[in-house]
Amino acid sequence: MGTTTESRPLGRRRPRFLNLTQIRLPVGALASLSHRASGVLLVLATPLALFLLDRSLHDPDAARELWGAVAGSPWRLLLVLPVWALAYHLLAGLRFLALDLGRGESLPAARASAKVVLLGGLAAALATGAALL
Amino acid sequence: MSQALGGLRSWLLQRATAVYLAGFAVYVAVALAATPPPDLAAWRAWVLAPPRAIATALFFIALLAHAWVGVRDVALDYVRPAELRLTVLAVVALALLAQGLWVARILLVTGP
Repeated sequence: MGTTTESRPLGRRRPRFLNLTQIRLPVGALASLSHRASGVLLVLATPLALFLLDRSLHDPDAARELWGAVAGSPWRLLLVLPVWALAYHLLAGLRFLALDLGRGESLPAARASAKVVLLGGLAAALATGAALL
Repeated sequence: MSQALGGLRSWLLQRATAVYLAGFAVYVAVALAATPPPDLAAWRAWVLAPPRAIATALFFIALLAHAWVGVRDVALDYVRPAELRLTVLAVVALALLAQGLWVARILLVTGP
């Protein structure tokens, strides 16, 4: 805890370049930051999952009632977010575990697997979105 | 707490919990897709059968630990003001502990 750029021993100011349209993000970096973003989303969605589990164990009509509450609203499409987060976090997590074990560490292989997990997450989101339309 | 979970131990904890979370999630998805419980009684019996309830409790313990390490890493990287970072971590820790108690209640208090 407590490593800050302010106390960099050489005191050299690092260049800041935050023009997002010109930063070229390597696919591996996109895979990594998406893994973090999906993880944060999943933490935020956990109370919702517990609520659904709790209700489902006590109310035989829970699924119908809850679906009835969101079915008519365009907000139901937001359900693609937790589905994407879960699918992507699982796929990208398995990829990181494989990398930890030394599998697929070469640059071409790592870039290819990053694309595969990103597309896998998008496919899950698109399938869910299509089912919700 | 950051000392107890610092460095190698949290790295290892994150991966060990990841393996259990992935395995159990896939097991539940496959089992429910293969034989969906037809009604509430069957669903309750499936979830609350002691071995599966214990495995589910372990799943949520692993989930909360995994969430804690992950959120802590993200907060350490992106929440720069120390006071704000401490506040975020305290709120997250309380929320995760509360959810742990909630899970215990769901799995142990089996009233109708």
